[in-house]
Amino acid sequence: MSTQLQFDEKKRKAIAQCSRCGFCRAVCPIFDLTKRPMTNARGKMILLKEVMEGKLPLTEAIAQAFLRCTTCMNCTTNCPSGVDPQEMVKAMRKDMVGAGFDNLFKAMGETVEKTGNIYGETERQDWGHQKGIAPVVLFLGCVGTYREEESIGETLQLLDILKVDFTLIDEVCCSGVLDDVGYTMKGDLARRNIQEIRKTGAKTLITTCPYCYRVFKDHPSYKDLGLEIKHITQFLKDFDFEVKTDKKVTYHDPCDLGRHAGIYEEPREIIRKIAPNFVEPRRTRENAMCCGAGGGFRGAFAKESVKIARNRLSQIIDETGAEILLTECPSCLHNFKNAKRQKQKIEIYNLTEFLARLYRERERPSTKEAA
Amino acid sequence: MIQELIEIVGRENFTDQLEELVPYSYDASMNVHRPDAAVWPESTEQVSAIVKFANEHHIAVVPRGAGTSLSGGVVPIRGGIIIDLSKMNRILEISIEDRFARVQAGVVCDGLNRELGKSGFIFPPDPASSSVATIGGNVATNAGGIKGAKYGTTRDYVLGLEVVLPTGEVMRTGSYTMKCVSGYDLARLFIGAEGTLGVITEVTLKINPVPRHAMTAVATYARLEDAGKAISQTMTSGILPSVMEIMDKVTLKSIRENTDIDLPEAEAMILAETDGFTWEEVEAQMEVILAILGKNGPVEIKTARDEKDRLNLWRARKSAYATLARVSSSFTLDDVTVPISRIPELLVGIQEISKKYDIVVATFGHAGDGNLHPQILFDEYDADQVERMKKVEEEIFRLAIGLKGTLSGEHGIGLSKAAYMTLEHDPVEMALMRLIKKTLDPNNIMNPGKRALD
Repeated sequence: MSTQLQFDEKKRKAIAQCSRCGFCRAVCPIFDLTKRPMTNARGKMILLKEVMEGKLPLTEAIAQAFLRCTTCMNCTTNCPSGVDPQEMVKAMRKDMVGAGFDNLFKAMGETVEKTGNIYGETERQDWGHQKGIAPVVLFLGCVGTYREEESIGETLQLLDILKVDFTLIDEVCCSGVLDDVGYTMKGDLARRNIQEIRKTGAKTLITTCPYCYRVFKDHPSYKDLGLEIKHITQFLKDFDFEVKTDKKVTYHDPCDLGRHAGIYEEPREIIRKIAPNFVEPRRTRENAMCCGAGGGFRGAFAKESVKIARNRLSQIIDETGAEILLTECPSCLHNFKNAKRQKQKIEIYNLTEFLARLYRERERPSTKEAA
Repeated sequence: MIQELIEIVGRENFTDQLEELVPYSYDASMNVHRPDAAVWPESTEQVSAIVKFANEHHIAVVPRGAGTSLSGGVVPIRGGIIIDLSKMNRILEISIEDRFARVQAGVVCDGLNRELGKSGFIFPPDPASSSVATIGGNVATNAGGIKGAKYGTTRDYVLGLEVVLPTGEVMRTGSYTMKCVSGYDLARLFIGAEGTLGVITEVTLKINPVPRHAMTAVATYARLEDAGKAISQTMTSGILPSVMEIMDKVTLKSIRENTDIDLPEAEAMILAETDGFTWEEVEAQMEVILAILGKNGPVEIKTARDEKDRLNLWRARKSAYATLARVSSSFTLDDVTVPISRIPELLVGIQEISKKYDIVVATFGHAGDGNLHPQILFDEYDADQVERMKKVEEEIFRLAIGLKGTLSGEHGIGLSKAAYMTLEHDPVEMALMRLIKKTLDPNNIMNPGKRALD
């Protein structure tokens, strides 16, 4: 094992490019919580600069510091010097593992390999839905399947209501996240997913999870998939919905869907069709604050992650006064639901789940379960 | 030291871990030195206890806000304890009827202005770093910004301060009133003192109503002298523009070549803005400025009054810093300031110095108040370039002083300009500054090694 890091030309350039202006302080969700300079992008770039210049030894504490990042990319969009710190963080996590600083995600990799999901769960729901041949295949992802089962159930119902001819598959973790936390995606799992997807004969793959969407769309392991890949908000944006809500609705841009995938308009197009009383949060679109769940941060620092979700949720409630918070990411949804305090009256749903509830409400007007 | 500090602030608000201290060794300048510890106090009492302890043991303390300083002002050049005020970030009181806001030092400028904005008020100084910069840091550096000509700098808005003196005693000075000549104006001593006389823990600020309308004009000139004349004539016309910015040809070329912003080839660009509470007021002022811009032979003039078009005209100016930061990996951003009429001489002089040492210097800044930002581009890993950069910087300082100007309009002296203090200040003045420092801080614990004070 070597405790040295290799800095190629690209990394050297990025490190030198950071002008240490500190503007990343304004948007880093972890810095917002801790006020400790080591936790934001400038602090991390400074650590790397000193390691690169041989002024600072590479230590376990530095490896740990690089785990403290949700890879939300808000520092990148806010950086006047054009540095992409979250890309650097992901690359350095790998390099640090390579230099002998294994982290807790090593065990997650083994779990994924063994059980096909990040939680090590052995039983999965199928919501009574068919698996087989269909023009559309729906990929759910680990967080939705094992932590937001109810929400996923509603999303499936919506597709049925809209008469979408789709199928589920015996999916395993897309495993892309391993590449972001220091390790490598599991090629076997990717091959299994590809095989299952092909069996369906589908022409379109839709995902509810924006992270899975990115992995299918961008990761080399899935490049030969050969079908159209759409996030569920892209897939549904041209549908007509026969439901509406009068309630005040707002929307949280998931980092993986917004900054990482550039999908801002589609969810809004859908929301505008069903919610005339739609308000944007102050920090929205390219500048939306992270919920705290991404980049392995929830897995490694669960308490801080929920605190960030609490901050974001309070910010949204205080600044919009909305009754309904929508998003379309199982991780954001899960973190917000964990963060919500009882006295906070806001209801939180994935957009597709909310649509299904509106349809059901229309059919049973006496219940007050949803809008 | 460790045990005492932990007793004061709690374990969770103390660190002496190397990896946490390294980021505190820097600011946005090229200076670097590690501290020995850092603390995040949550109250004035804690700051007082820390400083008292440091004074008894002759340990250096360096107060720090967001650390956006461009002069090394917060770099702990003698080690010691960083007092990070980020957790003292509460807005204590907003009194619209009495026209003041009382805040803890760690409150971020934009955050304060968001709160004030709800009542149609504002704290006007707007440094480029306002999204992160703290009010305490603003006061310690007397921060300015783009609207200095009309709205002044932080100094013009400070009504009162709470300061922890180097002994650890807590002093409250100033008033909550619009006028006050009761006793010496001690607040002024601490404004712009860069933390060398005490730790500012609370600030009472005068606030202004936000003007409802603004109009923007941009003019480019093929000759620098023409742009200079246009600025000079505007500033003597009886109209006080809310913004009067200038960018030189190196800045314009860099923006033209590195962004999709469409700019004509020109020696200089002026951006002017007028603001007010009625359109009549805004337009009447702008008419005078447009006439002046027009008669000095511009290549083109554009105007805008709605928000979208205005932002479009602002794009080139707003992108200047970022574009230059991307063009070169390392840079030094200075803030020399001259009497307004000397701006063309300063711009020409900087270009000559740049040519002499073959180092790119792009200059932009606040022509309306004489404050320019030469951004010197170089490679910090190229010893020869670093050497030439230093010479360029020194000659620019000499040039500005020769034009009856000053080393620093809004960034402060810190470490970067400490060696040049005597260029601007005569021995009598230097001696008095050192006497004040020694009187207040006999053990030289407050941000030592800065501003050539010891």
